Amino acid sequence: MTGTAAPAALAAHATLAASAPGAISAPPIEYSQLGPMLVVFGAAIVGVLVEAFAPRPARRGTQLALSLGGLAAAFVWTVVIAASRQVFANGSPGHTAIGGAVGVDRPTLFIQGTIVVLAFISVLLIGDTRFSPFVAQAAAPPGATAEQEGLAAGAMHTEIFPLTLFAVGGMMLFPAANDLLTMFVALEVLSLPLYLLCGLARRRRLLSHEAAMKYFLLGAFSSAFFLFGIAMLYGFSGSVSLAAIASTAASNTSNSTLLFAGIALTGLGLLFKIGAVPFHSWKPDVYQGAPTPVTALMASCTVVSAFGALLRVFYVAFGNLTWDWRPALWVIAVLTMVVGAVIAITQTDVKRLLAYSSIAHAGFVLTGVLAVSTAGLSSALFYLVAYGFTTVGAFAVITLVRDPGGEADHLSRWAGLGRRSPVVAGIFAFFLLAFAGIPLTSGFTGKFAVFQAAIASGETALVIVGVLSSAIAAFFYVRVIVLMFFSDPVPDGPEVVLPNVFSGTAVGVGAAVTLLLGIAPQPVLSLASHAANQLFVG
Amino acid sequence: MRLYLPIFILALLGFGFASFSVFMGTRLGPKRWNRAKLESYESGIEPTPHPPGGGRIPVKYYVTAMLFIVFDIEIIFLYPWAVTFNKLGAFGLVEMVTFVITVLVAYAYVWRRGGLEWD
Amino acid sequence: MTDQGMLQHLLAAPGTEPTLASFNTEIWWMVLLKAGMVFAFLLLTTIFMIWFERRVIGRMQNRPGPNRAGPFGLLQPVADALKLPLKEDIIPRSADKLIFVIAPVISATMAFIGFSVIPWGPEVSIFHHQTPLQLADLPVAVLVILAMSSIGVYGLVLAGWASGSPYSLLGALRSAAQVISYEIAMGLAFVAVFLYAGSLSTSAIVAAQNNGWFFWELPVSFVIYLFTMVGETNRLPFDLPEGEGELVAGYHTEYSSMKFAMFYLAEYINMTTVAALATTLFLGGWRAPWPISLWSGANTGWWPLLWFLIKVFILLFGYVWLRGTLPRVRYDQLMALGWKVLIPVSIVWILFIAVIRAWKLNFNSTAIYAVAGLVFVLLIIMVMAWDEAAQQRAARNAPTEASPQPAVAGPGQPAAPAFPVPPLDLPHYHGTGVEPGNSATPAREVTGA
Repeated sequence: MTGTAAPAALAAHATLAASAPGAISAPPIEYSQLGPMLVVFGAAIVGVLVEAFAPRPARRGTQLALSLGGLAAAFVWTVVIAASRQVFANGSPGHTAIGGAVGVDRPTLFIQGTIVVLAFISVLLIGDTRFSPFVAQAAAPPGATAEQEGLAAGAMHTEIFPLTLFAVGGMMLFPAANDLLTMFVALEVLSLPLYLLCGLARRRRLLSHEAAMKYFLLGAFSSAFFLFGIAMLYGFSGSVSLAAIASTAASNTSNSTLLFAGIALTGLGLLFKIGAVPFHSWKPDVYQGAPTPVTALMASCTVVSAFGALLRVFYVAFGNLTWDWRPALWVIAVLTMVVGAVIAITQTDVKRLLAYSSIAHAGFVLTGVLAVSTAGLSSALFYLVAYGFTTVGAFAVITLVRDPGGEADHLSRWAGLGRRSPVVAGIFAFFLLAFAGIPLTSGFTGKFAVFQAAIASGETALVIVGVLSSAIAAFFYVRVIVLMFFSDPVPDGPEVVLPNVFSGTAVGVGAAVTLLLGIAPQPVLSLASHAANQLFVG
Repeated sequence: MRLYLPIFILALLGFGFASFSVFMGTRLGPKRWNRAKLESYESGIEPTPHPPGGGRIPVKYYVTAMLFIVFDIEIIFLYPWAVTFNKLGAFGLVEMVTFVITVLVAYAYVWRRGGLEWD
Repeated sequence: MTDQGMLQHLLAAPGTEPTLASFNTEIWWMVLLKAGMVFAFLLLTTIFMIWFERRVIGRMQNRPGPNRAGPFGLLQPVADALKLPLKEDIIPRSADKLIFVIAPVISATMAFIGFSVIPWGPEVSIFHHQTPLQLADLPVAVLVILAMSSIGVYGLVLAGWASGSPYSLLGALRSAAQVISYEIAMGLAFVAVFLYAGSLSTSAIVAAQNNGWFFWELPVSFVIYLFTMVGETNRLPFDLPEGEGELVAGYHTEYSSMKFAMFYLAEYINMTTVAALATTLFLGGWRAPWPISLWSGANTGWWPLLWFLIKVFILLFGYVWLRGTLPRVRYDQLMALGWKVLIPVSIVWILFIAVIRAWKLNFNSTAIYAVAGLVFVLLIIMVMAWDEAAQQRAARNAPTEASPQPAVAGPGQPAAPAFPVPPLDLPHYHGTGVEPGNSATPAREVTGA
């Protein structure tokens, strides 16, 4: 698959273009190194064709196989590249493909691999049609006869699968993008399908529409800010390449207004995607309104991808300006941890609760980012893996606890769940303990790693805030556990359905990884530190 | 800017002529007030009252508008490619074919799903 | 106007092709003079075309056409032009006054601008000054025309919207949807020309046709362009935005006096512009046609202006001919032609042309073979889709032709025609409808459309 011959031949085809007079030198396209993304995008495009030509009954199975197969192939390919001696020859930090547009380096491959695995689990959840969370006819207004007919006919928008794949492809490109324009394109490719997917919930459709609309409008604003930031940075350095911006920033100190405005605006766009305070307001509404599998996808893959991009931009392009952006990011990290943890206490909806918890966790990862060291990078990578698996598992559990009208989202419905179905409640409690950072779970190892890296970089104050907000967060996680196990079950409480292969795998993998990373984190920790060994390629 | 100057001059001439004509039309013509004449024309029946908020427009037009944007952007990419085709060489050909094929995939989807049907 | 000595000089040294540089050194009065010439030409062509169209259509319909005002009725359009400003200028009460007034001005102004980049001829001498017979040229000249035709639609849409009448609004919407649909195919038809000419500048495109018109090399593009140019100008058989039978007069239902005249003017100028563009891009621009081009002086001096005008007016005659012979198409047919025929055909044609071009230029790459194979596959898919569509159409039409039954849907009997038609024995037809099971003709009439 890596094929040493293929890139050579393609490079040859690119150079041959120079035969014509005044020829434009074409950038080489290293198809083999871009393989994981190309596979995902290719599967998405084939998925669109399936939508166009396959008969309706055959679509779901074909799409599911295509999506899972594409993601699995992408993962294998990612591993093969990471193990390739050609790309990382002689201790090279990696390679920039397509004339410097896409970075192929170890941190990126680690992030991409994480995204692909998490997306695989999310697709399993999406493909679970037993209690499909997706609307039968998205174009029909809520309550219309067309909607009823669609429900009765068991119709399903199988476009969800290609849309998910496009989003995942964008997520893989986002942290790999080595210039800001590619990054912007990736941002849009990952965002647009997500806006759509958010509005496809089968139940409480107006809430879902509202979520999609809010996400779209706020996302469009943040993209615009990001684009403004790119314009500023281009004005400053005359290039959109991260490395060129870094070198200009190192040599040129005169035009700092443009540079700082650029840092602020691009940072804003990225921080919006990870949901850091004060750019977090979309997260609770969207997490609540979106179909739960889509929420799982957003909470795991999008966050990982956005952190990857944030790390790359701040480490590569603004790596020499640490003293300038660190204070601002410090304030944001503190705000994110504290606000996320405190507001979560007042939540009565499980999905909103997890949304605020996700905000708080973004703050913890930011602590790792603020370390600005290989240790910080590797701890952030590890944290993202740990958090991603736990959150996918938690959302998978939510799909299992059901009322007659859909998922039982309100916390009061969860009262006494532990007595009625101790296994599911126990697994959910385990996930919550992992979120809280209790030892023997992945959450503890992750928090320990980021705080350690932050202390090593002299951010002790930040760590104290982090530990305090962890304590606040632990309070509300434990409150939910108490509610589930030590209060009386509500009469005619929600039914807990038995997981089938799809949701069972999602819950199982989530729980297993959470436990494994809590007991024996060393292999993944060393993989992360190996990946972060050489930072990003410039 | 020098190259654009003649275009501006012609634009000014055209604009001047059009506005002058429209102005003269209001001066030279007669003015005979008549209530029915000032109603909008609907073959003699009482005009349809205006729907609040401008009314609703069939969604078909929006689909057409979005498809237009997709294809117009494709054309925008095709023009510089066509002009520099000789210089780009085989690379340009391969890349553009890849791009056009992906657009064609979306086109096939829209067609099969009835996005191009009018009735 | 022509200086004899200079003409001799030009005849002695042929081949003065204008380049972009020739437009950068223009003298101000020359620019003004040429702008005035273009302006006057467009107005005169409009007046001439109104007369010409009415006369030709009259002949095609076995009647003389206007023949009272002046010799051959030549003064008829002049009389019309004088009459219009003397009519009452009505602004409906429900109209948005400001936009209602601005819309026709936008339409007319944009129509004028489009013509500025059309080359009329090579460099000539005007008052001892060498100058290209073309008002303006840009590296992106053809884009100017596309842009102006797009902005011109604003005039139509704003007119329909500001009129406050349902007919106007429908006409405007249709016109917008139609023009943007055909603009895609038009834009795609240009790509092949740019591919061959390597430039968007109109003078460079004419220069590139020195060894042969693009009509011969790119016939498919030319045919597609012919379709789209009729669609773009909202002319018969694609004049649905102003279809009298259904929309009274479409977007200009509420317009009268000079405001109406401006829309009329814009339509005829647009016709002239797209015809001139067809001449420039595909018919060699001002270059002499074959037998004449053997004469060495054919492409020098003022002669090319004549060839250019002849080509333009032949195309304009085509417009009139279409109007005289073809009925208006249905709206779904119009959109189907634009979206399902013209666009896929032009995209595949572009890829095909690109492969041919790559072959000619000798790109040493195996990739070309892969691309060629792909294009071949696409061609096959297109032919198959075409075949399938034809079969479907045949299947739809077959029952009505096989069983000559009236289009009356009896109880439990599905109505055969594809187009929804009310039963012909409805009470308000007052017995003019056919007796059930009487005759076969209504069904044929209904489905034959």
